[in-house]
Amino acid sequence: MDSPSLRELQQPLLESTECETPAQKPGRHELGSALREIAFAESLRGLQFLSPPLPSVSAGLGEPRPPDVEHPHRQQQQFSSLDDKPQFPGASAEFIDKLEFIQPNVISGIPIYRVMDRQGQIINPSEDPHLPKEKVLKLYKSMTLLNTMDRILYESQRQGRISFYMTNYGEEGTHVGSAAALDNTDLVFGQYREAGVLMYRDYPLELFMAQCYGNISDLGKGRQMPVHYGCKERHFVTISSPLATQIPQAVGAAYAAKRANANRVVICYFGEGAASEGDAHAGFNFAATLECPIIFFCRNNGYAISTPTSEQYRGDGIAARGPGYGIMSIRVDGNDVFAVYNATKEARRRAVAENQPFLIEAMTYRIGHHSTSDDSSAYRSVDEVNYWDKQDHPISRLRHYLLSQGWWDEEQEKAWRKQSRKKVMEAFEQAERKPKPNPNLLFSDVYQEMPAQLRKQQESLARHLQTYGEHYPLEHFDK
Amino acid sequence: MAVVAAAAGWLLRLRAAGAEGHWRRFRGVGLARGFLHPSATVEDAAQRRQVAHFTFQPDPEPREYGQTQKMNLFQSVTSALDNSLAKDPTAVIFGEDVAFGGVFRCTVGLRDKYGKDRVFNTPLCEQGIVGFGIGIAVTGATAIAEIQFADYIFPAFDQIVNEAAKYRYRSGDLFNCGSLTIRSPWGCVGHGALYHSQSPEAFFAHCPGIKVVIPRSPFQAKGLLLSCIEDKNPCIFFEPKILYRAAAEQVPIEPYNIPLSQAEVIQEGSDVTLVAWGTQVHVIREVASMAKEKLGVSCEVIDLRTIIPWDVDTVCKSVIKTGRLLISHEAPLTGGFASEISSTVQEECFLNLEAPISRVCGYDTPFPHIFEPFYIPDKWKCYDALRKMINY
Repeated sequence: MDSPSLRELQQPLLESTECETPAQKPGRHELGSALREIAFAESLRGLQFLSPPLPSVSAGLGEPRPPDVEHPHRQQQQFSSLDDKPQFPGASAEFIDKLEFIQPNVISGIPIYRVMDRQGQIINPSEDPHLPKEKVLKLYKSMTLLNTMDRILYESQRQGRISFYMTNYGEEGTHVGSAAALDNTDLVFGQYREAGVLMYRDYPLELFMAQCYGNISDLGKGRQMPVHYGCKERHFVTISSPLATQIPQAVGAAYAAKRANANRVVICYFGEGAASEGDAHAGFNFAATLECPIIFFCRNNGYAISTPTSEQYRGDGIAARGPGYGIMSIRVDGNDVFAVYNATKEARRRAVAENQPFLIEAMTYRIGHHSTSDDSSAYRSVDEVNYWDKQDHPISRLRHYLLSQGWWDEEQEKAWRKQSRKKVMEAFEQAERKPKPNPNLLFSDVYQEMPAQLRKQQESLARHLQTYGEHYPLEHFDK
Repeated sequence: MAVVAAAAGWLLRLRAAGAEGHWRRFRGVGLARGFLHPSATVEDAAQRRQVAHFTFQPDPEPREYGQTQKMNLFQSVTSALDNSLAKDPTAVIFGEDVAFGGVFRCTVGLRDKYGKDRVFNTPLCEQGIVGFGIGIAVTGATAIAEIQFADYIFPAFDQIVNEAAKYRYRSGDLFNCGSLTIRSPWGCVGHGALYHSQSPEAFFAHCPGIKVVIPRSPFQAKGLLLSCIEDKNPCIFFEPKILYRAAAEQVPIEPYNIPLSQAEVIQEGSDVTLVAWGTQVHVIREVASMAKEKLGVSCEVIDLRTIIPWDVDTVCKSVIKTGRLLISHEAPLTGGFASEISSTVQEECFLNLEAPISRVCGYDTPFPHIFEPFYIPDKWKCYDALRKMINY
């Protein structure tokens, strides 16, 4: 290759920066034909992973370690003065003598994998997972029971019975579709809008309610705001309010699972807003470099409280970031339970088999408000919300599928609605009646053992209540 | 005459060689011998620059833990880590540059011995390191994370304070990350300036749910680090970097534990209680000698060892006896951990106090570079404060 002449360098740069169609983009993998199959957007260099840099010479502590023979893409390149190939440790790439910026493509971004159309009809029969009736009914009933519970608990907050609530309207498909594709022992790290995963794993209504009410049955001992569920038995790590903190944690858990040869995957849920946090970047990078069996599941529901995606990011969503980290990535229709299922199933199989992370961006829509502290009519139109509620809802799409299979009908629908409402109301009334935990539980579990100074503080509160107890709501708390 | 001249010449050459040797150590290779003909004043300045503000005082050889070996601080840390990985097959060590042995050599040899899945580098990201460590610990495996300098722990502050510290409490004990230990080099080193000298223990003292531990010596470090690793709560272990090489003593080869949340009275006395941790313990030890020699004052010297939860009883018991308390730390005065100790002691021992509690600390400035000798709470400042307390 000749080095550019001075004249070439003096050419106006505009010539080099024309917008190119995807077909012409160097190295961009052709996805059109791959839509038939379960398509994972490969890294920009196809199946080939980016070779990591050469191991650095240890600082003055002896010879460099011999090359890693277990990692073929880490073998040191042989230096030769005859080679005009790049030798930089930082990238595996060819030279180019044309000045050209890569144009980010958000107009025709990563395509959205789906199995059903908006009316619940299978588009490509070979993509139908052919789940047995029982399983599809479980998917349907989990979503609808969650929906019913959401309505009742949202109301209960409005009535001042619980302090706070977050609904899952419109996103039920992302929860159950992914949960159904996992093993029951796969560890779940959530953000706060994944109650359907617990629902699918048969977390009892009584315990959902107990946590929201902070009553004596709450396994969390009344310490957190409502919807901060956790369940050890069902491998669902307790939710915390700070966003995205669970992402690097999930990666660590996956690393430990890999070391233990547990054949488990870890799944980590987060929203498109949380994906802006530094912890998300940290988690993605660690998962890729440390080769962890983890599924990153992003619920892109269009809003982070009032902030629309146009103010959250400027690139092609979250899926497009995956290849930047060397992560296998896909975008799916989050309102299509089967698409979510298929993608999660395949990601799980490969994550465990190959010890590498997978990123699934599930496109969906947050039909409800962010929480009971939010009134979303302040920042979006009722029409927009109605469209999703009426025209593209995971529950109705699956119901259409059930109907077309002859596995469901109007009568069963009516009976189930009545039954699920009754179950929820019963659990709700019970939860209301139970007392709150003993105030001593304010002090335990800070450490595994209670430090001496904290015990003194606990005793000090006990003494205080002896004198001033009338000013405290003791009658609602366990003695 | 000739003999004297010869002797003087010999002395001059010796001093020149000594100074040059010092210069070579601090300035690196490549300076020609002829370049360095230090005049007397430059030589003195050079030598003064190298004198540390403390003298490490080794403890007597421990007898009760079996065979010992002379180790410096970083070697005692390596030994603790070696013992941990040998005993606990789930234990892993990770952080920036730990694979080749670490920038302070604390992890030398461990990757070769235990494998690359157990001792490995992470990307350069403290929030990731701690978050990742929490996740490992949540599964029950032992996570030993290294933050390269305590000055860089702040990106991980959210993960430590909002997550690690609260994991057990917020889940009602369904989940915890007790098997997480974070190790980090800490404290002044002579030339570290703003970002290689900090002592951030006070930030973490305000956070229920974690333990913060700081050793004064290799023997203490190994026992305390092993206790942190085995403790069922997330722990931060700060290692005084100036002691990594400067402190060496006999340390048992086998594992042993030194209990957390127990201060140690390393010298008994009757007139004043001196409290410090880490490097500063050696400073106040020297101050105690000075007080004895110059003022006839008997000092009780306490190494706090665990910052939180701290051993209130031992400190108060001492102050009840002596009536006077001096606390010293490198970290800035305002909001430093001495304020917590001072406040608690005046609550518990008010009527026993003969003088106001004295705090000798760094100034309320970032840690300076060239002004370090003026910044640090050295023995002269401590001695002066003690003198004022005695004469109160």
